[in-house]
Amino acid sequence: MKKYEAVIILNPNLSSKADDFIKDFKKLLEANTFKISKQEDVGRRQLSYSINNHNKGHYLLFNIEGDPSKLIEIENKIKYDESIIRHLFVSVKNHSGEDSQLLLDSKNKKNEAEDVVEKEPKVKQPKEDKKENLDNNKDVKPEDSESKEDDKIEEKEDKDE
Amino acid sequence: MSKYELPKNFNYTDVNILKQFITETGKIIPARVTGVTASNQRKLTKYIKIARFLALIPYTDMHK
Repeated sequence: MKKYEAVIILNPNLSSKADDFIKDFKKLLEANTFKISKQEDVGRRQLSYSINNHNKGHYLLFNIEGDPSKLIEIENKIKYDESIIRHLFVSVKNHSGEDSQLLLDSKNKKNEAEDVVEKEPKVKQPKEDKKENLDNNKDVKPEDSESKEDDKIEEKEDKDE
Repeated sequence: MSKYELPKNFNYTDVNILKQFITETGKIIPARVTGVTASNQRKLTKYIKIARFLALIPYTDMHK
């Protein structure tokens, strides 16, 4: 029995079907006497360079343990799966058990996005206040303009004199 | 020579760490420049090469 980390980059167009793929992949692993100790669905991520004309990829990470000779069979099946644009199995001494930095980054990004969504209503409220202020200003403005006109008239009168 | 402090456990998913040890053009910076210990430099090169394969960091700045 050997411990491995599996990284699989899915076609981003099929990322909505990622859950189905994970189920199928689990079945494939379990059929080949592999145990999954941890799985991470990182989600869509920008690729540093385009692979098969894809600029984004759906990253999946697995911590697995099993027989090295069976791994070749798994890899042979994965090779011809067109929904996978890249895969890698790395043998490791021990699984860290901690969340990978990729997952943490994607979570942080999601949180930031949520924060922005949460902030928007907060931003809107001041805007409404501003609108009210503007309304008030509108009320005030005519007076101002009138006063200005008065000033102008006065100036004209001055000039006339 | 400046000494970079690397965490005890890091791997190829720690993209932000690995990015500090490649040049703008994507080359691995030699340990004599960064002052990283030899064992850490061996880990770095291994992880950088894995991360490149997984498109987490670029091989070069010439990618189309």
